[in-house]
Amino acid sequence: MRQKLWKYVGNIVLALGVIVTAFPFIVMLSVSLQSMNEIYSGELILIPRTWQFKNYHDAMTNGNWARYILNSIYVTGTATVVSLFVNAMTGYVFARIRFPFRKALFILVLVGMMVPPQVTLVPLFVLVKNFPLAGGNNILGSGGTGFVDTYFGLMLPFLAGSFGVFMCRQFYVMFPKELDEAAKIDGCSRFRAFISIFLPLSKAVLASLAVLKFIGAWNEYTWPLVMTNTGSGRVTTVQLALTSFRNEGEIFWNQLMAATIVTTSVVFVVFLTMQKYFVAGILAGSIKE
Amino acid sequence: MKRFKLKHRDAVSAYVMLIPFMVFFLLFVIYPMIKSVLDSFTNYNLYQRDFIGFRNYVRLAQDKIFLRSILNTLVFAVFSIVPLMVLGLTAAILVNRQSKVMYACRAALIYPYVTSMVAVSMVWLYMFDPTNGMLNKILGLFGAPRQWFLHDETQALWCLIVVNIWKNIGYVMMIYLAALQSVPTSLYEAATMDGAGGFRMTFSITLPTIKPITFFLLTTLSVECFKTFEQVRIMTNGGPVSSTTTITHQIYMAAFSEFKMGYASAMSVVLLAIVFVMTVINLKLGRQLEDL
Repeated sequence: MRQKLWKYVGNIVLALGVIVTAFPFIVMLSVSLQSMNEIYSGELILIPRTWQFKNYHDAMTNGNWARYILNSIYVTGTATVVSLFVNAMTGYVFARIRFPFRKALFILVLVGMMVPPQVTLVPLFVLVKNFPLAGGNNILGSGGTGFVDTYFGLMLPFLAGSFGVFMCRQFYVMFPKELDEAAKIDGCSRFRAFISIFLPLSKAVLASLAVLKFIGAWNEYTWPLVMTNTGSGRVTTVQLALTSFRNEGEIFWNQLMAATIVTTSVVFVVFLTMQKYFVAGILAGSIKE
Repeated sequence: MKRFKLKHRDAVSAYVMLIPFMVFFLLFVIYPMIKSVLDSFTNYNLYQRDFIGFRNYVRLAQDKIFLRSILNTLVFAVFSIVPLMVLGLTAAILVNRQSKVMYACRAALIYPYVTSMVAVSMVWLYMFDPTNGMLNKILGLFGAPRQWFLHDETQALWCLIVVNIWKNIGYVMMIYLAALQSVPTSLYEAATMDGAGGFRMTFSITLPTIKPITFFLLTTLSVECFKTFEQVRIMTNGGPVSSTTTITHQIYMAAFSEFKMGYASAMSVVLLAIVFVMTVINLKLGRQLEDL
């Protein structure tokens, strides 16, 4: 009897929690379909009188949104695919091959994982801006803008980050030694063994890592903010574009919420279809040795 | 001789395969980290770079706004983390059942964690808006006076804390849920045989077994809180009157609006030191807890 009562209380608390969590998203959807009059009215409106789908059109033509979305897709997609392959290969090397300085190099990788990106933000920006022979720079790295305002510049932190290496290494360590030996007997080089034996076996870990990387890169704000600081808006990503709605005098909340829904819908779809891999990835990152 | 050769060849292929990652990693992570320590002893401002010893650090210790940002970050961390742990664990216990409804609840609770901080900030900017915002409309229904939220010096930081808690409950829940599911069911069965109730089991079995995870979460969340930047930059830009500025926001402002790169580097080193200490405590205490 008492057990049952507690179960009811638990369910009510959970239901309330879910409603409170979902409420801002409901508001987001609702406001994106309201007219400005309804927003200004002071009344609490959750279901708009007439659904203003026009807001979406207006929001997307407020700036070059087709371009922003393509920019984000290009940067996120390329950074995810390239870094996934490179991380897997590096993780494989650390897990399966014995070579001098392996331990020291791996400790460096761990250190790199712990350093907050905010700490390296300033010198990284200076380095990227003054990179020799890039973006009009001379050999000493002055005169031009380096990799600032380029797609490559935007992708850099994702290509250099070491979390994926750590995760892949933890994964490849678990395989039996016989796998390497079998490859060796067949005359496979280490690279061949990685490509044709280990890579096909790592779909699960790569799927998790891909989801984490995709969501992380798509959602990134700080680095693009710094990277396009002096720029023309040529490589503006969706997250940056979203903040520009605020810079104008009057805020059109309905358009802002419409644009917010558009930018989050990509992550929403990825999350819904790949939730299992996302959770697995988060957990793999939190397990200590 | 042949064995040596094989080993030798292994090392060569290892180094070759490491090149693509290591070049990027050393150049764009490790080098900037060292550089930020070196720059912190200079007055670097994009035009000149002179060695000035510890002068940046001395100035930091007297910089009222920077000290305020440390205090803000601490308040933000403590008042985010305590509710997060409690609510996250509660949520994990409540959704720890196998059913379609529970899976849907989990997804709903995790979703804010997946959403970008920019989008989250935009929605909450509307929620908190003093004139047309949702929260004031709700307060109006109960006849409560209008609040200024993000525009009020005494409320702004608390608003950011609420958003932070709302966004991260799902993360804490996810980690705790995995921990709960790793507790052997035989323990609960034995306890039921001994006549223990739900509460008793929570305090005698569940909480002790998830202690290491609690510790992991404490340190991870602390580090995350100390890195807080995006919502501050978007929602308040540190104001009103520096009441919401954080360490990373100060770094950003010094570097990219005043171009005092050397000074910003000194702040970065302070942040690095704080995060480093937290990580070491995590590793050290974490090991002690395992021995217990």
